[in-house]
Amino acid sequence: MSEPMLKIEGVQAKYGDFIAVADASLEVPEGKIVSLIGSNGAGKSTLMSTVAGLHKPSAGKIYFKGEDITGLSADKIVTRGLSLVLQGSHCFVRMTVEDNLIMGCFPKHVRKQTKDSLERIYDLFPVLKEKRNDLAGSLSGGQRHMVAIGRALMSNPEMVLFDEVSLGLAPNTIKGIYSRIKEIHKQGTTILLVEQDTHRAIKTAEIVDVMLKGKVVLTGSPKELSEDEIKKAYFGI
Amino acid sequence: MENNGIALRKPVKILDGIPMLIICIVICIALYILGITKTFSNNTMRYLLKIFLYITMGEMWNLMSGFTGMTSLGQQVFVGIAGYSVAVFTSTFKMSMWLGLLVGAVIGVVFALLLSLILFRMRGMYFAVATWLIAEAVRLWFNSWRFVKQGAGMTIATSQIPKVRELYIYALTLCIIALVVVYILLRTKTGLGLTAMRDDADASSSVGVNIFKSKLLCYLICSLFIALAGGMFALQKGSVLPSSSFSIDWTVAMVFIVIIGGVGTMAGPILGGIVYVILSEFLAHFPGWSNIILGAIAILVIIFLPDGIIGTLQKKLNFEIFSQKRLSEPKKVKGLKEKANMA
Amino acid sequence: MQVIQVIINGILLGGIYALLGVGMTMMFGIVKLTNLAHGEFVIIGAYLSTILASALGVDPILTIIVTVPIMFLVGMGLQAGLINRVMKIGSEPALLVTFGLSIILADAMLLVFSADAQRANVPYNTASIKIANGLNISTLDLIVFGISLATIVVLSVFLKKTFLGRSIRATSDDLEAASLMGVNVNRTYAIAMGIAMATAAIAGMCVSMKWVFYPSSGGNYLLTAFGVVVIGGMGSIPGTMIAGLILGLAQVIGGANYGQLIAYVLMVLFLAVRPQGLFSK
Repeated sequence: MSEPMLKIEGVQAKYGDFIAVADASLEVPEGKIVSLIGSNGAGKSTLMSTVAGLHKPSAGKIYFKGEDITGLSADKIVTRGLSLVLQGSHCFVRMTVEDNLIMGCFPKHVRKQTKDSLERIYDLFPVLKEKRNDLAGSLSGGQRHMVAIGRALMSNPEMVLFDEVSLGLAPNTIKGIYSRIKEIHKQGTTILLVEQDTHRAIKTAEIVDVMLKGKVVLTGSPKELSEDEIKKAYFGI
Repeated sequence: MENNGIALRKPVKILDGIPMLIICIVICIALYILGITKTFSNNTMRYLLKIFLYITMGEMWNLMSGFTGMTSLGQQVFVGIAGYSVAVFTSTFKMSMWLGLLVGAVIGVVFALLLSLILFRMRGMYFAVATWLIAEAVRLWFNSWRFVKQGAGMTIATSQIPKVRELYIYALTLCIIALVVVYILLRTKTGLGLTAMRDDADASSSVGVNIFKSKLLCYLICSLFIALAGGMFALQKGSVLPSSSFSIDWTVAMVFIVIIGGVGTMAGPILGGIVYVILSEFLAHFPGWSNIILGAIAILVIIFLPDGIIGTLQKKLNFEIFSQKRLSEPKKVKGLKEKANMA
Repeated sequence: MQVIQVIINGILLGGIYALLGVGMTMMFGIVKLTNLAHGEFVIIGAYLSTILASALGVDPILTIIVTVPIMFLVGMGLQAGLINRVMKIGSEPALLVTFGLSIILADAMLLVFSADAQRANVPYNTASIKIANGLNISTLDLIVFGISLATIVVLSVFLKKTFLGRSIRATSDDLEAASLMGVNVNRTYAIAMGIAMATAAIAGMCVSMKWVFYPSSGGNYLLTAFGVVVIGGMGSIPGTMIAGLILGLAQVIGGANYGQLIAYVLMVLFLAVRPQGLFSK
């Protein structure tokens, strides 16, 4: 078996004295689309921030493409080809849509491909092309999500982490965004999706991980796992 | 979440209550007796009275910044106003210095009340710089105001200047009153609410404190005492000048005193005031270097001892002097914290 | 005629005020730091230019070729070595550290340069251009205005059109998202401080030609710079320009005695009425 693209081993993350992630282990094989589900407060978002380098783990190891990236800062991790799309619409609100996207090509080795990447993202989200000169702050929630996703894809990352992309969006918009995510996946990007919507996560993913109280308690393919099993793990009963 | 609960800290020893009260009273009485019986030389008393006045000012600045989160860089305006009031009443009107001090304090409080209308719309750095702007504007005004002899300044009528021993007693009394006022204020619902607001704006609203009124009360008390201390400083010096009475150096001193001692501790400014006066007397031998060295020390303390000397000692040795926490407090505070973490 | 003259003088004065404020705006808007030492940086720039110009016998304007890179590097070092560290402790300690720096720098300059008044001498000091009867524009004012304007335009283009400029704006909008784009936030802050220092060097050069200055003048220029930030709104460069004009006009109308006073009162009023600035959001 080949090395998994992302490997999380016994990661612990704290906010002050509060332990948000107790002991999480998880693997994402290359080219797969994996869902991480769990109830509110299970520690999913903290785990994502920790993997992406926004938060320093207090214990455990994180490997990306076999290399140890534990404790590296976010700007170094993204240069290695691992992008995180943050929960909520984290756009640069006082910048235009196009400037937002161009920021996705900030790492030096991808600056040359800025023009091509822009074309690619505009193909993926045509509405952004129309609004390219508008300030990101003036867009709707769904469009801001598109900007955030597009921006993360500009540098052609090998793997993208999505932290609750469907949060607070209309069902139609969610559908659109999910179909784009599947498209990206087909083009060869490895994906880790964090979701609260269990149903959608199971439908989309090839592997499902369930997180409870700061730990990953269940792993398996949606076909193997019964809905009952997942529910039990999700609620901790 | 029971299993990842909050780490338990060692219980904090709180130095408070009757024994502490007795120690404080003994020290105060001793200082009075030593002053009245002329045991102290005039020179010693001059040092000590400066220390008392600086402790008063430091304690007040700390009340605003350390306990309620209003960092002002313009409290020198009250030093100047009271100093000028004393000068005008004694020299121009040939009246008592007490009247000058009283009027100075009243003008200071009324001015503070007016300023609060403007200042309390601002927060953080806006507040800080606005207070400085106001102090500078007032200084410029005095600089071109004929009635107070413009930039040339004024002298205080010598007949009205109290002897060093008298001034020592006044300064000591002012300092004790200031400490008692701060001690009591911080223990009232108002004080606890303000500290809560500084730490967490949401938590304090649940405590049910009228933030505006509480902040205003602190600001007025602070202005009153700084004005009184400023007036006494003017009496000690014998003259007032726009450039020195409204100088930013007063704020530099207050900030230094609080940073060295420990922001948000009551004992901090007491130690800070002592350190400041000794240090600045010593640095007077090196003309021009005083502020450079004080500034460097303050920056180093901010970096390496962000809690100040008293604050660091309290954390390391697990004790608290004049603590705001009472025996029933810790439980409540913990409950709040836990709630915040759950959210 | 008089009215037009006042307006013209105010506009010209506004240029240098805007330049004074632009460095502070950057720090305020991007690093979220109120740099209370900015006034001293300006005065250091003024001394450097005056000394270099008289030592080399060149026009003070030429000295910025040397002073700008020096101040840029010093600014980067200061931010990376000291202020980034303090900012981790909190925003209040950071404010107080810059306050400490301003006190240290002002007194250090007093030791080195003495309290004597300084001014850079330029041949076009008193020259003026006559536009109409009773309507004159001072050549020096015009040059200073031109330099200020050019600096601000170059800075705006840099922020709008380059990768580095975009990354600076992105950091100011959303720190986390910016670092997820590969931006090293500490380095960005250091660059922002470097730029702020560089603009202070240019502003200092202009100050040294236009006004008499002392080691203790920093406070005045800090408050003026802050006023520009307050009235213009943080991070807004066009706002900064207009704020400079407003303050410049107040200064000209108030004259030598009350100009500064009127300007300060105006700033406080602006702060009270619109603390977020006239031109922000």
